[in-house]
Amino acid sequence: MINQAGSLQLGDSKYTFVATSDSVEEGEMIEVTVGKETLVVARVHGSVHAVDGICSHAYSELVDGELEDHCLYCPLHFACFDIRDGSVVEGPADEPLSVYSVIELDGFIWVKG
Amino acid sequence: MTTIDKPIMIIGAGIAGVHAAETLRNEGYEGRIVLVDRDTQLPYDRPPLSKEFMLGESSETDISLRSVESLTALRIELKLGVRIVSIDAEKQIAISSDGEIMEWGKLLLTTGSSLRKLQVNGSDLEGIHYLKTLSDAIAIRQKLDGIQQIVIVGAGFIGAELASSFKRLGKEVTVLEHAPLPLARILGDEMGDYFLQLHQSEGVHVITEDSVVQFDGTNQVEKALTKKGRVIPCQAVIVGIGVIPNTFLSDKGLHVDRGYIVNEFGETSLPNVYAAGDCAMWPFRGTNIHIEHWDHAVNHGKCVAKNMLGGDSNAYTTIPYFWSDQYDHRLQYFGHTKNWEATVLRGNMVDKQFTHFYLNASGVVEAALLVNQPKNALAVRRLIKQQQPVDPDLLSNPEVNLKKVHIQAKEDKVSN
Repeated sequence: MINQAGSLQLGDSKYTFVATSDSVEEGEMIEVTVGKETLVVARVHGSVHAVDGICSHAYSELVDGELEDHCLYCPLHFACFDIRDGSVVEGPADEPLSVYSVIELDGFIWVKG
Repeated sequence: MTTIDKPIMIIGAGIAGVHAAETLRNEGYEGRIVLVDRDTQLPYDRPPLSKEFMLGESSETDISLRSVESLTALRIELKLGVRIVSIDAEKQIAISSDGEIMEWGKLLLTTGSSLRKLQVNGSDLEGIHYLKTLSDAIAIRQKLDGIQQIVIVGAGFIGAELASSFKRLGKEVTVLEHAPLPLARILGDEMGDYFLQLHQSEGVHVITEDSVVQFDGTNQVEKALTKKGRVIPCQAVIVGIGVIPNTFLSDKGLHVDRGYIVNEFGETSLPNVYAAGDCAMWPFRGTNIHIEHWDHAVNHGKCVAKNMLGGDSNAYTTIPYFWSDQYDHRLQYFGHTKNWEATVLRGNMVDKQFTHFYLNASGVVEAALLVNQPKNALAVRRLIKQQQPVDPDLLSNPEVNLKKVHIQAKEDKVSN
């Protein structure tokens, strides 16, 4: 059910509308806010992924980094994360990024939370 | 992979040493790894000391580099509070200050650097600080509440970051710099002028072309006296006038300049002895350079560790990089240059968002300073790595993709 606050209730989970599908192009990412969290939403090989938007190592907005296939590079110390599961591919980060469940439906992108 | 019966010993558990130790294990080395440091504190990250830690935004736990558990899990034998006083490459031993003789099969020197000290009258008064270690930072932070006027000696990166932090904490800050402009030796006059104005616009008092000759006070510093006769009242002084590499360990035949001289693989002039990070001088594009920054220490430590195992397979070619946060400015600097021929500005200094490129005589980008433009970071790093001449007009045009500014690339495109 979609309510007026732009959220979608699926069972026990609440999803928040973050972007329209056409605003996240293939190989690109955007920064969105869900509640108090800053997230990066990216499309790789057609699928949309959402992870923390701030690097787990030091304060840096990941949207300013680069996306190469599934690798998300931080622009400050060049840590690299896998956008699919948030895991660290390359340091200096040693903590993974949180991953957020995403639903893309009828041209809209929803993120759990 | 080489197996060595005697342990690999690493002297210095800073950034380079810790990353080297981890790399050795992660690369499959099964032997003993002994990591010693004269400090008694667990390894920690230094960059936040002048920024987040000073502002009280991060704690000792936040800046800890590795836990005892994580080092134990990798079977890295961390020996803190052990001061190595001499090494012997022939006997393959190191001797500690309490006389312990430690054997090694290969040795890595990651002894870091020390701060240059100011030698003037009154230097031993209370309230005169340096910032290098966590204890230094704690000592400064504990005194801040009772302090209103602070003098910072040296307008380098540490000085500028501290000025920014102290200003945010509501202090009255005076920065004293002997050169005509801050940071000009590294960034050039134009940028030096920009950062001078930045300090001033934030309400920091900057005095250039002058230097401290004496500190006055009874027990506690009360004023700084300068060469040109200025008297600056203050309750604290922080000195940030650069570093010198720690090369106190020497042995016959070990070549030392401004740091232990190493080749592209991190080998010193002695067999089985390597050096990495601040304490090493290494070849970058034909010149031996020294870099005292976090990113270099990480990458050099890792790279040299691989060579210690793999028999010099991995030449170190990483583009030097550092960052600095000052006021509302995030600075990122890539490359290394001292004698650039031309500079190119991309973006707008008024908007505080620009990239300043340093080109050599052939039009190759040797270095670049990014101000509040993290989006350009990875592209700029690639550009410097490629070492191809660029078209300055394309480079200066923010509309042109940084991947398309090479003269060579342009011709290729036409001929295709």
